[in-house]
Amino acid sequence: MWFLAIKTLLADRGKLATALVGVVFSVVLVNLQGGLFLGLMGKASLMVDYGQADIWVGHRGMHNVDFTQDVPVRWGYRIRGIPGVKNAEPYVIGWSSMALPSGSFESVVVVGCEPASLLGNAWNITQGAPSSILEPDGIVVDELEAEKLEYPRMREVREINGHRARVVATSRGILGFLVAPYVFTTLDRAATYLEKPLDTCSYFLVQLEPGADAQQVCEMIHDRVPHLDAQPRDDYARMSTEFWMTRTGLGIIFGLATQLGLLVGLVMVAQTLYASVLDRISEFGTLKAIGAKESQVYRILLAQALMLATLGSIVGLVVVAVVQHYFSSPRTTILIPLSLSLGSCALVLAICLVSSLLPYLRVRKVDPMMVLRS
Amino acid sequence: MKATSSSPLVDALPVVIHDLHKAYRRGATSTPTLCGVELTVDAGECVFLVGPSGCGKSTLLSILGCILTPDRGTVQVLGNDLSRLDETSRSTLRRNHIGFVFQRFQLIRGLSALENVCVPLLLRGESQRVARQRASALLAQVGLGDKGRSKPNELSTGQCQRVALARALVGDPELILADEPTAALDATAGQEVMQLLRKLTTGEGKTAIVVTHDPRILDFADRVLHLENGRIAEADLSTTAASAGTWR
Repeated sequence: MWFLAIKTLLADRGKLATALVGVVFSVVLVNLQGGLFLGLMGKASLMVDYGQADIWVGHRGMHNVDFTQDVPVRWGYRIRGIPGVKNAEPYVIGWSSMALPSGSFESVVVVGCEPASLLGNAWNITQGAPSSILEPDGIVVDELEAEKLEYPRMREVREINGHRARVVATSRGILGFLVAPYVFTTLDRAATYLEKPLDTCSYFLVQLEPGADAQQVCEMIHDRVPHLDAQPRDDYARMSTEFWMTRTGLGIIFGLATQLGLLVGLVMVAQTLYASVLDRISEFGTLKAIGAKESQVYRILLAQALMLATLGSIVGLVVVAVVQHYFSSPRTTILIPLSLSLGSCALVLAICLVSSLLPYLRVRKVDPMMVLRS
Repeated sequence: MKATSSSPLVDALPVVIHDLHKAYRRGATSTPTLCGVELTVDAGECVFLVGPSGCGKSTLLSILGCILTPDRGTVQVLGNDLSRLDETSRSTLRRNHIGFVFQRFQLIRGLSALENVCVPLLLRGESQRVARQRASALLAQVGLGDKGRSKPNELSTGQCQRVALARALVGDPELILADEPTAALDATAGQEVMQLLRKLTTGEGKTAIVVTHDPRILDFADRVLHLENGRIAEADLSTTAASAGTWR
């Protein structure tokens, strides 16, 4: 049946191209929508993903890494005493504003890490060194936020919330979900910029002893400090992402757009297969007249749908790879994991197979007698 | 009852029809088409069915080809009582033991001549290699050995009908049913196709039933049956021509 299916499908190149466009469109749309969505959502958990902590501990009810509540630094002692905890460093995240050379201000997210361990400090350093923040007034800014910060140069002095800040290093690609640029510095200096008391922090970043169970340690933290929430890194990253998905409707918007793309693709494939069948209806009548079984006729249509799905998926993934190569950037990240690509292909395949039902219902009604009446 | 799947019943007559009735219904109206047809066809015989349009020739052919079912009466095709066969068994009988030649050839556009001839064998589950071998041999027999790669739109109508004839015969069927096989052909092509049909059927001991309006080819029949008002009203109209061997 493959032979018949391939030959008859290739016979009408115009219809084949139309159907392929439908499949390619679906594959590209699902991957790019999904990739943009994952890229955007990845930013929501960027700090957690790269923070080097195994467990994030914050105030009870913490739900998003960028929105914090103060907790006493002294509770860190209780955490450090829990079996399996290697260290627990205080960490500060908060909002402030930087004075710009033009006289205006730019909101910034100030991140302060413990100077001894530099746990949670900036990564992807392009100029200077991570430890440069130990210099007086030292801050790290991201070079991709240069425009917002009016192009700060190395060693340039700025003011954050009225306090001196000197650019001692730059990173590349630390762009958060929010529009405000990140500014990395030490814990004490961050407290100054944020006007927080020095005996408070936003989180404790916990690193575990080898072999320690993160979930178990989290439970012990809950037991020992009931006012704190503790989440393993991946869980808190997911929580931070879901915060934006559920509270802003972003998930629904992207999901709807993706489903719309799939629907359009489905309609195009179904319509093309149907039109192709209508065009060749007498040939199906002939096949039935010379003894083709219903199942054989359906297998021809299934094989054609399968070929369309496979060909379209391959072409679609090539298009996606090209688009991703040329258009993905740290600011507009198109993050396409293998699971998304394979999942989209499986989805498109399922759609194509479902689409083949429509022409089959038409072919089922074909009376082989028609070829004797023609 | 299942259709015979290997060799036909050698003792059975290829076609035995008794008191066959068939009517077409549209709403409450019923139009009788066949009214008590009686027919017996011997093995190796070439029988022509003639008659005015709408007299039931194609209907009778469709019933013999297991495409339509009779309303009443018994129809035995190659020893199978059609009334006792289910849809699948009728398809199997058609696929394995009956060859069709259609008025408009009904070749599949996307396939070459060779591939079109292969189709019945592929439907039976034969391998591509075997199907191509047999199809090539038959195309050579109908004089189109060099046209195997040609698509139907690259062939003349006469050549198309010869491809269709090869397709009907490729499965080595015991019964050939031809519906107006020369209607779309000019006189010369029609004669050529009929000569081939007789050569490839009678020579192989196959039975052929040909529906036609074309008086130019009646000489090729062993027996001509006249169908009118739903009955075979006249028989053995031109046995003299056939026995004279004009088709040979």
